[in-house]
Amino acid sequence: MEKYDLIVIGAGPGGYPAAIRAAQLGASVAIVEKEALGGTCLNWGCIPTKTLIASASLYWHMQHAQSLGVSVEKASFDYAAMIRHKNQVVEKLRAGVGQLLKANGIKVFEGTASFMTRNRLAVQRSGKESVVLEAARIIIATGSSAALPGFLPKAASVVESRAFLDLPRLPARLIVLGGGVIGCELACMAAQLGVQVTIVEILDDILVMLDADVRAEARRYMESHLKIRILTGKPLEQIKAGAQGVKGHVAGEEIEADLLLAAVGRRPVTEKLDLDKAGLKPNEKGYIEVNSACQTKAAGIYAIGDVNGGPQLAHAATAQGLLAAEHAVGPRRNVRAQIVPSCIFTAPEIAVVGISEQEAKQQNRAVKTGKFHFAALGKAIASGETTGFVKWIVDADTDQLLGAAAIGAHATELIATAVTAVQAELTAAEFAHTIQAHPTLSEAWMEAAHAVHAQCIHAPPRRRKTDG
Amino acid sequence: MVQTVIMPKLGQTVEESTVLKWHKREGQAVTKGEILFEIETDKAVLEIESFFEGTLLKIVVAEGQTVPVSAPVAFIGQPGDPIPEVKPVSRPAPKADATPEHVAVPVKSGVSQPASDQPPASGIRRLVSDIPPPSPARKLVSPRARRLIRECVISAEPIPGTGPGGRVVEKDVRAYLEAKHYAELKITPAARNLALKNGIDILTVLPAESKERITVEMIQQAIAEKPKAMSKMRQVIAQRLTASFTTTPHFYVTVAVDMTDLLEWRKILKKEAKTVSVTDFILKAVALVLVKFPALNSSTDGRAVRWHSRVHLGMAVSIAEGLVVPVIRNAHDLSIAELHERAAGLAIKARDGKLTPDEMTGSTFTVSNMGMLDVDHFTAIINPGESAILAVASTRPTPVVRDGKIEIRSMMNITLSSDHRLVDGACAARFVNRVKSMLEDLELWKSMI
Repeated sequence: MEKYDLIVIGAGPGGYPAAIRAAQLGASVAIVEKEALGGTCLNWGCIPTKTLIASASLYWHMQHAQSLGVSVEKASFDYAAMIRHKNQVVEKLRAGVGQLLKANGIKVFEGTASFMTRNRLAVQRSGKESVVLEAARIIIATGSSAALPGFLPKAASVVESRAFLDLPRLPARLIVLGGGVIGCELACMAAQLGVQVTIVEILDDILVMLDADVRAEARRYMESHLKIRILTGKPLEQIKAGAQGVKGHVAGEEIEADLLLAAVGRRPVTEKLDLDKAGLKPNEKGYIEVNSACQTKAAGIYAIGDVNGGPQLAHAATAQGLLAAEHAVGPRRNVRAQIVPSCIFTAPEIAVVGISEQEAKQQNRAVKTGKFHFAALGKAIASGETTGFVKWIVDADTDQLLGAAAIGAHATELIATAVTAVQAELTAAEFAHTIQAHPTLSEAWMEAAHAVHAQCIHAPPRRRKTDG
Repeated sequence: MVQTVIMPKLGQTVEESTVLKWHKREGQAVTKGEILFEIETDKAVLEIESFFEGTLLKIVVAEGQTVPVSAPVAFIGQPGDPIPEVKPVSRPAPKADATPEHVAVPVKSGVSQPASDQPPASGIRRLVSDIPPPSPARKLVSPRARRLIRECVISAEPIPGTGPGGRVVEKDVRAYLEAKHYAELKITPAARNLALKNGIDILTVLPAESKERITVEMIQQAIAEKPKAMSKMRQVIAQRLTASFTTTPHFYVTVAVDMTDLLEWRKILKKEAKTVSVTDFILKAVALVLVKFPALNSSTDGRAVRWHSRVHLGMAVSIAEGLVVPVIRNAHDLSIAELHERAAGLAIKARDGKLTPDEMTGSTFTVSNMGMLDVDHFTAIINPGESAILAVASTRPTPVVRDGKIEIRSMMNITLSSDHRLVDGACAARFVNRVKSMLEDLELWKSMI
């Protein structure tokens, strides 16, 4: 039996930073990973999708640069080469994680951990005998997986996101079941590479967590420019799938495609942990409940990332991992509510932080908004990137910047400014008086902050709808 | 013709009421029977309908203002009608010789005299800014100093004044800021705005040695901790119970009642679709026994005793805003079925806030049943104007000795609080034992239902 100060189960974007921080603080640390260092994010999520999206986006822009005076004849792509490039990126980053863990003196166990007692784990290893590890503190960072729901037929033409990223070639026609973040990102990527895409979403709209104006902008672009067919408010029924193709019915109409991508949510991974031996039980949704310091109900055991039911975002898991590691072995810091940005790599890109207008409405909170469209911004017009806008959501009483949304080119980078401003509790008046460099897209934030008080320079005055 | 809307008298003992909310604005049309405004008496919130038809010409009594009954509160007429002049109405002076059964203790709005028992540097008096501070302590602050105080989001209260007549001048504020190391204070822009809007002194938010940056969350906590005026109902509860507990010598007698047989029989009744609650049995038993114990159905001011020939049973009901005691009049004359109907009706009205002041006054004895709240035993405070109150605890399976053997029985503790000026120990003991033996006498109940 080997003893450590801390064991982390799962080496994803929550687990490996937790292990490194604990090691930095002088603890002896082991990390158990059943599949691949870096977890979903690095191997089958954020990184591989963004690699493919970068390729697809470049191809799309090469074909749509005529308005800037550039035309590329015979532009083509090799999807197999894109996949190879993606695999190289993933391997490089995965090796980097391995080196970081090693450099910090963290022992990596390849295998599947299960609790024997509250502070003891058995690790089953393939090809090696199993090993027992003991630690006073254990962090569960097992994440989530995209499982295929039971109502879908089992066939080669039905895949979830992980299998989709390893396809040797793209289908000609694709049905994306689920208009959430993952579904929309992959739908846009495929559409930019010429795939005929249909999104079927049972809810009334795609990306329902976003404000209606942001959703409308995204949907308009996806439908009119990427020619994606978006069917909302109706289920996909009578699904039949074979090796060659897949078909189903939406509101009586038959939809046919070569492939169906199921992107209908992710489930927490807990089944092999034997949580009951540690005195823990997942809640009715399968998540391990935690307090603000990520402590579970069992003393010494923490749960971070997707498995605890918080936001399913890699950077949220990382922040929780660092917090839990410090709480477990190091000097404890005050837990303050942190705001978590969220980025969607669709075309156009979308990013949000803090509360949305619709959340404010649900909370009965009086807010004002200030919006600025890229179509009125010099830099955006110059670079032909006029789709979208940025928007502040501001407390009507104190002028506090409570949240922000950006949609358009580089929105996922632009949100950084808003994250800092919202976390620092700046007011719209204060932000409006910062000087943003000209000509940049970042000017849009300053203009939108002026718009909160109807003092926008580069937009004609108009009656405010949100007032009153 | 201009009609005068007056503050209605909604109970024999109600002398003044507060306008809580106007449902109509000046200039709006009003029809007869429409809800015109809401008032709060010391016991209840009530909606007042208009007796007149026309246009609401003028509101005389603003929301939050308290006036005596019959005072004009508004005028209704036709647009253009001349509006009569009204002198500002002052509240009636508190009655010096209020008798104990005079339940409507005159209440001033706001917390009375908050200054004396507060730590001087806490700035609390400033925080309850909607309540006029006691006049002698009014702080004199020069306009320049006031502007600086506002800019700094601090309170004038703790600043020592060196100007004429103790007036706080700008120099004093600067010296105070220096002494408090104000320049080292860090606060987020939004937190500063929030503090300013809510009258929070940002020097009081953090402990002195803390160097943390003040955030919105900290200001929200300070706002939540700000002293707030109690509701009128809460203030009346506070005054009446304090008066009773501090002027009435309470003593307590407890007995355990064996409810096993009665509960068994209640189950049978239920099958026959006859609903009788435990409270009904207790109310009936108490009403019957009280007739034989005049001392417990009396009141005293310490000099004279007044016997109430009738049993008006108060029934403590817990509601969201506090506690009300609706009254079942002439309970001694009512059958169990009538008691049940009356008690259930009053409880529903109480929870809906629909009790009229008269339904909440004139009780001669009170029963407080916490049986549904899972308690072993408790003591209650006597309602002013009465000589005793019966506290009923939960019924629980309990090992008891019967005929020399230990048995599990359903036992319920009842505790009588009595005014020792009127009631002696022996009398109280006999009373509770009579109630007990009555509740345990199944044959008696069978004869009544």
